Amino acid sequence: MSRNSLIHIAALALFALLPLMLPHWALTDFAIYFTYAIFAASLSFVWGHVGLLSLGHAVYFGLGAYAMSVVTLGMTPLPATSWLGILLALAAPALAAFALSSFFFASKGLTGAFFGIVTLAVAFIFERIAINSGWLGGMNGLMSVPPVMVFGFELYDPLPLYMVLLAILAATIFTLDRIKLSPFGLSLAAIRENELRAESLGLNARQLKVWAFTISGMIAGLAGALFVAQFGFASPSLIGFSLSAEVLIWVALGGRTSILAAALGAIAVRYLESQLSGSLGAFWPMIAGLLFMLSVLFLPRGLFGEMIYRLTTAPRN
Amino acid sequence: MDRLLIFLLDSSNAMLVLMLVSLGLAVIFGLMNVINMAHGEFLVLGAYGVLTLQGLGLPFWICLALAPLIVSAIGLAAEELLIRRTYERLLDTILATWGLSLFLRQGLILLYGPGSHAVSPPALGSIPLFGETYPIYRLIVMVISAAAIAATFWLFFRTDIGLQARAVIANRNMAASLGINTRLLDRLTFSLGAGLAGLAGAVMSPLISIDPNAGLGWLVPGFLSILVAGLGTISGPLAGAATVSATDSLASALTSPVWAQLTVFVAAIIVIRFFPQGLLALRRREA
Repeated sequence: MSRNSLIHIAALALFALLPLMLPHWALTDFAIYFTYAIFAASLSFVWGHVGLLSLGHAVYFGLGAYAMSVVTLGMTPLPATSWLGILLALAAPALAAFALSSFFFASKGLTGAFFGIVTLAVAFIFERIAINSGWLGGMNGLMSVPPVMVFGFELYDPLPLYMVLLAILAATIFTLDRIKLSPFGLSLAAIRENELRAESLGLNARQLKVWAFTISGMIAGLAGALFVAQFGFASPSLIGFSLSAEVLIWVALGGRTSILAAALGAIAVRYLESQLSGSLGAFWPMIAGLLFMLSVLFLPRGLFGEMIYRLTTAPRN
Repeated sequence: MDRLLIFLLDSSNAMLVLMLVSLGLAVIFGLMNVINMAHGEFLVLGAYGVLTLQGLGLPFWICLALAPLIVSAIGLAAEELLIRRTYERLLDTILATWGLSLFLRQGLILLYGPGSHAVSPPALGSIPLFGETYPIYRLIVMVISAAAIAATFWLFFRTDIGLQARAVIANRNMAASLGINTRLLDRLTFSLGAGLAGLAGAVMSPLISIDPNAGLGWLVPGFLSILVAGLGTISGPLAGAATVSATDSLASALTSPVWAQLTVFVAAIIVIRFFPQGLLALRRREA
């Protein structure tokens, strides 16, 4: 078994055993961190693996959250069930990601920094639409979304919630890692390294990037739906600029080159934030910004990314 | 007819300020290849600068003159500590300056609180213009903005240092091997760009509500302006800002400011998508 798989299994075992050590109420917090970790995983896939810096990734998270809320609250002609809500929360962001990226990458297409700025503008647009839409509840958003029913029970108790979300996170990381190693994933890595060369080897870069972005949007949407399943609301703050900035920090600090590292980054930053915001208060976001700048300068692989890199790369003789 | 003239006057006001913002962004990008995501915060810092200095009891006009210089100094410090370490890595400049913008924004929240503030405008009154009364201060904003734009152009096209800067824009390595001090130019450019944003924030401070999160509302239109016109020139951003601002004013008049902004963003994204080189590339002569 490779060292990389061992690290993944160790991380999973650690989190599976963590409930033994944590007080009951802390499990609910960790269930939320896992939701954010799924979101971070979706960004690290397009940013770290395909090289597309999306500055507005909360668009897909927010679309998932709103889709889940709208269906579950019975605001659509569809039957008002959570499962249909989750289904739409996968479909709507995937469709949006597909449509937007098809538009951005068609013919000459947008690259690098241009792509980043345009995605930021898109997030701005979606946030404004959510704020100004009466149907979506305006500034307040949609509230009182009921929790998900599993086999007739509400998914609400801390331990089952923790375990279910850990399982979904593990499945997400496993799936994305498998995709990275598939022929499709290797083609994406080739595009990241040199798009022109990849194209002259016969790859359809545009189409591959669109599919990668669609997968990422779908997973971000899943995270959005899971957020609603736990918090019971969707609001404009989930779709716009601030959450997009946060997820970027989690992924950068954790490490964008490894899905696991990005997910751990989200968990670690959110955990630190909850521990430190009591004592540091408003200084915390400033410190997060500072750490982010420092990681850009000195730790481009991120904290966990660097650790995984050191552990998996055999020392040179 | 008179209403139309007043409308045009208001539109040119917004347009000139957006030109200042995008000119700063464009010189930083053109010369240093740095995408400055903290530009909106530099603008907001300019407004907070006026607020703070006025709180110290200084007259408005002194505050207006000092605030951009303070922002320039902050820009210089940011360049020295952060930006120069990310040269040659375009995407990293986005991340580094993005981090800087979060840092500055939170710093402002810590110092001034999350709420919005207002600066008391100088008591100038209004003058009759086209059959209506028009605030004199708005006219002064236009004069100051236009003068700052003209001064920037004078700097780039009529002075030795401007000539060197244009040489660096055209070919950085060649300019460096001809003995031009690119390091000095980088410092100057970044603090000039930050200062222009600071000036825009300072002159607008009596007209806007000053809050820590106001920066983004300027950054995005600023970037869209330079992308719409095309990168790599100094005059491009003026044309871009004019296009973006005119579309915004027209759409505001026809619908509401909120939908106008959405219209402009969507239109700009479509233009950037179909003309990645910018609209000016359709007929470019300038180097």
